[in-house]
Amino acid sequence: MAKSKLKVALDNHKGRNIKLEKQRKKEKEARKRKETNKPTVDIEDVEDVEGDEEEGGVELGEEELQTLIAASSKKEKKAKKEKSNGGKAPKDTKGKANGVAKKVVEEREWETEDEEEEDDDDMPERPALDLSKLEDSDSEGSSEDDIAEDDEDEEEDEDDEEEDIAFSDIESLASEDKADVIPHQRLTINNTSALLAGLKRIQLPYSKLAFSEYQSITSDEPTEIPDVEDDLTREKAFYQQSLAAVNDARARLKKEGISFSRPADYFAEMVKSDEHMGKIKAKLVDEAAGKKAAAEARKQRDLKKFGKQVQVAKLQERAKEKRDTLERINLMKRKRQNADITATNEEDLFDVALDETDKSAPADRRKSADGKPNPKRQKKDAKFGFGGKKRFAKSNDAFSTNDARGFSHKKMKAGGPGGGASKRLGKSRRVKRN
Amino acid sequence: MAAVYKALSADSSHEREPGSKNKQRVLILSSRGVTSRHRHLLSDLYSLLPHSRKEAKFDSKAKLFQLNELAELYNCNNILFFEARKGQDLYLWMSKAPNGPTVKMHLQNLHTMEELNFIGNCLKGSRPILSFDAAFEKQAHLRVMKELFTQIFGVPKTARKTKPFVDHVMGFTVADGKIWIRVYQINESEQSKKKTATVNGEEMDVDPAPKKKGKTEFNVSLVEIGPRFVLTPIVIQESSFGGPIIYENKEFVSPNQIRSDLRRAKAGRYNRRTEAGQDAKARRGELGLKTHGGRKREKDPLSDNVLFA
Repeated sequence: MAKSKLKVALDNHKGRNIKLEKQRKKEKEARKRKETNKPTVDIEDVEDVEGDEEEGGVELGEEELQTLIAASSKKEKKAKKEKSNGGKAPKDTKGKANGVAKKVVEEREWETEDEEEEDDDDMPERPALDLSKLEDSDSEGSSEDDIAEDDEDEEEDEDDEEEDIAFSDIESLASEDKADVIPHQRLTINNTSALLAGLKRIQLPYSKLAFSEYQSITSDEPTEIPDVEDDLTREKAFYQQSLAAVNDARARLKKEGISFSRPADYFAEMVKSDEHMGKIKAKLVDEAAGKKAAAEARKQRDLKKFGKQVQVAKLQERAKEKRDTLERINLMKRKRQNADITATNEEDLFDVALDETDKSAPADRRKSADGKPNPKRQKKDAKFGFGGKKRFAKSNDAFSTNDARGFSHKKMKAGGPGGGASKRLGKSRRVKRN
Repeated sequence: MAAVYKALSADSSHEREPGSKNKQRVLILSSRGVTSRHRHLLSDLYSLLPHSRKEAKFDSKAKLFQLNELAELYNCNNILFFEARKGQDLYLWMSKAPNGPTVKMHLQNLHTMEELNFIGNCLKGSRPILSFDAAFEKQAHLRVMKELFTQIFGVPKTARKTKPFVDHVMGFTVADGKIWIRVYQINESEQSKKKTATVNGEEMDVDPAPKKKGKTEFNVSLVEIGPRFVLTPIVIQESSFGGPIIYENKEFVSPNQIRSDLRRAKAGRYNRRTEAGQDAKARRGELGLKTHGGRKREKDPLSDNVLFA
């Protein structure tokens, strides 16, 4: 920006360092930005900061001997603050602000760059809204009320803009701070009057049309879906909404005498071709077959597991039976041994079954009737051995190898005086002797 | 100025006479760069909308207002334009040509008829019932969108290829700031007479249908046909592919932004880790735990070196 010559002259006169001041200003701005970015800082705090800024501005102004401008800028800022404070700002204050702004514009050339930038920031929203308003009034000839409403909307929009935190600013926040802030990526535009005007322009005259012309039904109550991620309940809600609409529409169409459902003998091209339906059917059949096969396999597995259990149980039962029988036999044996002393007829009477089983078992031939083994046999067993392993009976083992009882050194060394094997003579001498 | 004049003249000249018909024609087309799924969705919608006209891919993404001329060429007063970006994101433009409002939406969770394998089916060209959530009446921008849906997806009675029965329903529901769209077949099964007498008795009396008078009542159930998709409104423009923006969805975050955020989060993780490593190094240096660099450790006055020096 081209600085006014007057200002330059003044600066020269005063001998102040512009660059240094600029830098200081930038630092201040940076600090301010930081303050506003902190989510925990209340709006009041921010305003405090702004107030500080203002005071700084005033001091600067005094330095520069521009008290008048500073005061005006302060006013403007105050007006702005009121606007942001009061949510829906009263109109007269806005008017005041505008008046001040006008004044400021008049004296713009005296202002610092910073202030100008602020002014510029406010600007870009205006043309679009103005345009829309113009189009509204042109196309619709909307009443004064509409315009007033529009104005209010605009004001609200501006307020929103001031409170919003731009998404780009959030980037610079630490990640843990991010969670607290609701990010608003862009500025809100919701020009209700324009929307309604557009709607009015394109809307079908529903009151004049028969229902069968548009066949559109809006549900009485909003479809409530507590959690969109929950597929089942969500789809159920959609289904219910559509079903209710169908029932309603059906009644209304019947009332108008419109044929509703397709008769069974009406054939025509369908949305999904036969090929496609065939594919779906094949898939369904496949799925069903798969399910059936899986069920069958599971059944088999269970059966197998169960069958094994049955077999094991049977074996166990058999073993138990055997044990029982043997036990009983032993019992019987003991009883019989004692029978000579205590046996009575009564006991025999009670043990009929046991007696029978005993008798049915084949008698041991090796044992004589009185329970003692055959003496002749015993003798023979002792002589020839009975039982035991026959194999390797005569082969050496560790014990026999180390057993040196039968070994005699003298016997081994022949020629010894007392013992040893007599030397065998040669053949000729043996022949001679014989 | 021309747009303003058009708007004015349209309002005055197109004032509908009482008993006028609902005449709609829809131009369906996509931009270049659509994927096969996008294409299949387009063909699904085309088969569901007998009053639509399919057009070749539109080559420009900047000069969308040319679509108005295209629509005029084919006598269409509605445009359904699919704009693909980056070969993955799909945006759906609904517009009332030549000067109606335009809605731009982001299309997500797309499942075509082909891949859904639903057993529902309906006549090609039968007219749907449109079922709207009550939430559509609450806000101005949703009302505008509802009107557009009604005119684009509702098949007019007089459309050329329509069939005379009603056998499917389209559901539009607002949930989570998005619009969910489902298509169901209406399946009527006969119900025993006794039950109808108790359940739908008065409805039976009202019914003037000559065919099924007093004989049987039907039990209505729905079977889904497909496709399924979700629309997030982004922007509403006042005229067709142009004009001032009269609504903008604040909560919409573009898929590009989401992707870049994800990438950034990943990069952030690396940065944080390296920073933490450096911090740890510095701390250790400060405590005198490092052999090279950092602060020297203070000499212990009781150490052997000091005592026996």
